[in-house]
Amino acid sequence: MSVEIPFGAVGANVAKLESAEKLTGAAQYIADLSRPNMLHAAIVQSDVAHARILGYDLTAALAVPGVSAILTGADFPDGRMGAFIKDEHAIAKDKIRYFGEPVAVVAAEDEETARAAAKLVVVDYEELPAILSPEAGLAPDAAIIHEELESYLKVFPAICDGNMASYTELSEGDIEAGFAEADVIVEGEFETAPQAHLAIEPVGALAEIDSQGRITLWSANQSVFRVQANVCESLNLPMSKLRCLTPRIGGGFGNKMEPHIQPLVVRLTQVTGRPVKLILNREEDFECVRARHPFKIRCRTGAKKDGTLVAREMDVLLDCGAFGDDSPGVLGYSLLMSRGPYRIPNVKCHGKLVYTNKIRFGAYRGFGNPQVSFAAEQQLDEIAAKLGMDPLDLREKNLLQPGDAWFGGGKVASNGLADCIAAARKASDWDSRTARPAPKGKRRGTGVALGAHISGLLGTGAIVRVLEDGSIALNTGAVDIGQGSDTVLVQMCAEALKVPVEKISLASPDTDGSPYNWGTTASRVTYTTGRAVVGASKEVEKQLKDHAAQMLECAVGDLELRPGGMVGVTGSDKEVSFHQISLRAHWGAGGPIVGHHTLVFDQPTVDPKRAIAKGLPFPQIGVYSFICTVVDTLTDEVSGKTEVDEVWTGVDVGKAINPSLVIGQMDGGFVQGMGFALCEEMVWDGPKLANPTLLDYKVPTTLDAPYRMHTTIVDAPEPDGPFGAKGAGEIGLVPVPAAIANAIASAIGNRLHSLPMKPEKVFRAMTEHDDAA
Amino acid sequence: MMAATFHKPATVDDAVRVLTDAGEGGRPISGGATLVAMMNAKLVEPDVLVSLSAIAELKDFGRAPDGTVRIGAMRRHRETAFESDLAGGQAVVAKAASQIANPPVRNMGTIGGSISFADPAADYPPALVAADATIEIAGPDGRRFVPAEEFFLGWYETAVEPGEIVTAVLLPPAPDRAVGHYEKLCRVAGDFALASVALVLALDGAGTVTHLRLAVGGCGGGPVRCPEAEALVVGAVPSAERIAALAERLVEDLDPVDDSRGSAEYRLQIVPRLIAKAFEEALTEMEPAR
Amino acid sequence: MTTKTQDVTVTVNGAARTLACAGTTTLLTVLRDDLLLTGAKRGCNQGVCGACTVLIDGRPMRSCLTLAANLDGAEVTTVEGLAPRGELTRVQESLLKQNAVQCGFCTSGMVMVAHDLLQRSPDPDVEEVRDALSGNLCRCSGYRALVDAVIDAATGGAA
Ligand SMILES: Cc1cc2nc3c(=O)[nH]c(=O)nc-3n(C[C@H](O)[C@H](O)[C@H](O)COP(=O)(O)OP(=O)(O)OC[C@H]3O[C@@H](n4cnc5c(N)ncnc54)[C@H](O)[C@@H]3O)c2cc1C
Ligand code: FES
Ligand code: FES
Repeated sequence: MSVEIPFGAVGANVAKLESAEKLTGAAQYIADLSRPNMLHAAIVQSDVAHARILGYDLTAALAVPGVSAILTGADFPDGRMGAFIKDEHAIAKDKIRYFGEPVAVVAAEDEETARAAAKLVVVDYEELPAILSPEAGLAPDAAIIHEELESYLKVFPAICDGNMASYTELSEGDIEAGFAEADVIVEGEFETAPQAHLAIEPVGALAEIDSQGRITLWSANQSVFRVQANVCESLNLPMSKLRCLTPRIGGGFGNKMEPHIQPLVVRLTQVTGRPVKLILNREEDFECVRARHPFKIRCRTGAKKDGTLVAREMDVLLDCGAFGDDSPGVLGYSLLMSRGPYRIPNVKCHGKLVYTNKIRFGAYRGFGNPQVSFAAEQQLDEIAAKLGMDPLDLREKNLLQPGDAWFGGGKVASNGLADCIAAARKASDWDSRTARPAPKGKRRGTGVALGAHISGLLGTGAIVRVLEDGSIALNTGAVDIGQGSDTVLVQMCAEALKVPVEKISLASPDTDGSPYNWGTTASRVTYTTGRAVVGASKEVEKQLKDHAAQMLECAVGDLELRPGGMVGVTGSDKEVSFHQISLRAHWGAGGPIVGHHTLVFDQPTVDPKRAIAKGLPFPQIGVYSFICTVVDTLTDEVSGKTEVDEVWTGVDVGKAINPSLVIGQMDGGFVQGMGFALCEEMVWDGPKLANPTLLDYKVPTTLDAPYRMHTTIVDAPEPDGPFGAKGAGEIGLVPVPAAIANAIASAIGNRLHSLPMKPEKVFRAMTEHDDAA
Repeated sequence: MMAATFHKPATVDDAVRVLTDAGEGGRPISGGATLVAMMNAKLVEPDVLVSLSAIAELKDFGRAPDGTVRIGAMRRHRETAFESDLAGGQAVVAKAASQIANPPVRNMGTIGGSISFADPAADYPPALVAADATIEIAGPDGRRFVPAEEFFLGWYETAVEPGEIVTAVLLPPAPDRAVGHYEKLCRVAGDFALASVALVLALDGAGTVTHLRLAVGGCGGGPVRCPEAEALVVGAVPSAERIAALAERLVEDLDPVDDSRGSAEYRLQIVPRLIAKAFEEALTEMEPAR
Repeated sequence: MTTKTQDVTVTVNGAARTLACAGTTTLLTVLRDDLLLTGAKRGCNQGVCGACTVLIDGRPMRSCLTLAANLDGAEVTTVEGLAPRGELTRVQESLLKQNAVQCGFCTSGMVMVAHDLLQRSPDPDVEEVRDALSGNLCRCSGYRALVDAVIDAATGGAA
């Protein structure tokens, strides 16, 4: 199948629309905004992990000149928010559930004053036993973190009990029969570590109340609509009373999708009547926003002698942290991904999500998929080794074929995985990989992992208007967090209407004026919002043609869109411009041209005839993108420190609307995944995060990231995707930890089962192997 | 807010005077790369800041006729890293400087500030011990000189007394044909050392070690040198066995802790290997000359 | 609480500015809050991320670690001052064309170090560029496109 791109706006490396603004310092992020008479806020964080709040002493803090208000849990309504389980107040109320949780918030004339006063707030606690691991949370006599869990509102059929926030199960086939058939079985435990999102912009928000009590809220976010919903749920506010806007966003990766401190500034502006801004500093951002879930995974995979995979069993245990947030979704999604893009007839997976007294773990690029892939893709290499097969050959033998369904029975319409493998195999010269020399003192390894990831989920919309002069105004409500969706959506609109990109304006998301958009998450904007843009553009095309037919006195069917904003009669030079049509529509007949289209992703995740699912939170999930990543690593013989030398990726994103932006996602996803794999580690000292600073929590720099990263984009158009497009935002990260683990294993002869694969772990595995040899 | 008063004296004497008058709440500021970061985090809140930026004397680099090098306390890491006059054994200091942090921080940070702060994982301290440096300190009673080995007292503690400032680092000439090497292991580029080894080594024509000073960083409160361990190699050909013996002896003196950079256990495992690597590199560098 | 300020004259993007600053106020705060030059970003306030990097007397440094009071007589260039309004420098242009900018939060700092590099080393190789940018964290790009854009700016002809 191929897609027609007659105009050429789609598929072009259009420079991102807002880049000049970012390059000259003109772009405005949340910290750059201010309002007249604005107050500045600072939070007070708990210094205990689990406690009942007995009282507050605000005397000293209130006495600081310049302090205008101090709010505690007592000053907040009793509403609860949460993506899947409504378990979270706007601020700690009655109880503290993790170390560093906001317990009070101060507004003052300037930030220094607010911060100084915040230090003077005294909170009286009755400490409760802190639950610091999921195992501790499941212990029979464990202190309960959410006593009212049972009564919380949940948006899915949650199976919960005690500290267990959610139990999920998914299976297909007959697991016992499957393993009985197997000639080789590999079994192992794997562990992944929490990862900080570390968008370089810390989170922040600014709220302003008007004389009718209506509030405008700007914040660092991935969805103005989720901000609106969360704030209103937690503050018991009608949604019509809150308008949410977005400035430029300095990166998200999942961190800014669900709420952070937005409800605090909204409450402060209500109480003080003045605009209030709150920007977290880096340490606070580390301590009280969210992080990637640590997983404990037990995985078992069986294959026949010829390499045919027959069974996979996986059991995962997730630390939820103090609040549900996106965790039930991450659990369910990780199980859905546990089979990987392979034909394995018998699969059984289950998992538990357990509340602990830690920062909430939540959505993070990959959404549980990199964690389960770390286990599953290593086991494929183990099986290949046992059978004496090439790891890539083993994968190809068991590949999910075009037409095959996903685990659970969901439909996979386009599947370019075989081409991804072919591209990565060729580019990496896979077959002669062992012949590549290593520099002195280093051991070279080559590893591969495949991956698949969805794009889809939930509702979205677009409005396309033809302005009086024939130029186009596009409005979608999708927040561009840097990945380039603004540009891509404009490119699609341009292609659909055959007008140059420069003739299209894009509205900034605004809950007052933009159509609903669930959010910039789940790799979904290009695919779902793109569909809405194309749908709305088609609607505009129809209206334009209706006008043109009357103006040119011909049948609608004889008309065509012509490049540059014209409608013409096919086979003739008769034409009218959008400008002429729009003037007629505005001043003469029919009314201004507005096209809109909304949709909700509606393909079922599970086919009940085929699979058994319990507690799975996504009835309708998405379409599938695919990837094959090959890495070459170099491990230092002295220290075990491992670097990635070169990367080759083949990726199927359906159709790349803007290839340079797809490559940007692959590069960025790779390096973020590499940090997760090799060096990023959140270290706890008891209940307290011990390294909430950039001096102590290290992410890759230019010198650590490989410069040689090669991406081949494979075309496999999605039938209902806009111009065939599928998502690209997360998939680049998904196979990275596994591919690096496989490379390290090939280099040192020993396999690592836990992340991060920091120097000392690799060193130990390497010396153990060398000593044994 | 608690704003500090800010002074920018033009002479060392004035700086010492203002600091002495300020007492406890006074702090010199050089590059600010550490001090301002700490002020931003409210870990220190000085009342009086004394900038050393306007004191010309502190910015100089020079070599005395006897070969002693004098590095003014305000010399930036970048300047020291690119100092072409730091050759032979003294190059260990330039090599350490080149591995501190990253280019913009190297444009800011100074040798005086770094050693006065004495982060146990910092790069200069082991290099200065290996180079047998002497630290020049100015105080109300004039200048005094402290050998690097006695300067670093452990865990952010130095021989500098309140009211004093570091004015220069003096490097004695290293023996002829000596080579200096600095080996640093860190998690990512620009990080402080998980562990580091600084080494100044000279051999005679027969390949026996005539001079050796070796110090380890990141494995305790300050740089660790062990003359007894060095003695296992001095006067002999530096064979792998002898180097291993040296390392084994030196490791006994290390006192690392677990931190977010790595475990104490790993540091103890890795130091002997870093030492071996440092020797290897130094010997390779010597080869053309030998 | 006492507020002690002193007047400091600094040339910012070519214009002399006299600022009343407290002893502990950083250049980053002065730029952002007093001069409303918000191009320099605060990503960590600890000198690590590089988002606040500006040129001080021609060298890239952390504005978050620089006390404004110490800058009397100094020259500061921020991202706003590199090119006249409506124009881009060669390296800015190249970053734009290559889509090396994602969220943009690191971008001002990256532009400053890249600009400085090209001033000193008009034709750098990949390793030089990687080294020059190594003090500036970017969480979005994976860096490759940034490095390529700088190389391209160097070889890309006239300014
Ligand atoms: C991101 C980052 C990464 C870093 N990485 C490394 C690294 O890898 N290796 C490394 O070694 N260092 C590293 N550093 C520290 C850096 O080298 C600092 O520049 C240095 O430690 C302090 O030097 P300074 O001139 O900036 O001192 P300042 O910050 O000005 O002062 C530091 C302390 O010393 C005192 N002081 C300053 N000058 C004198 C003096 N002349 N006499 C007496 N006391 C004085 C001050 O009062 C203060 O207490 C890093 C710093 C940062 C911000
Ligand atoms: S804000 Fe200055 S380096 Fe991060
Ligand atoms: S573009 Fe987002 S941090 Fe660099």
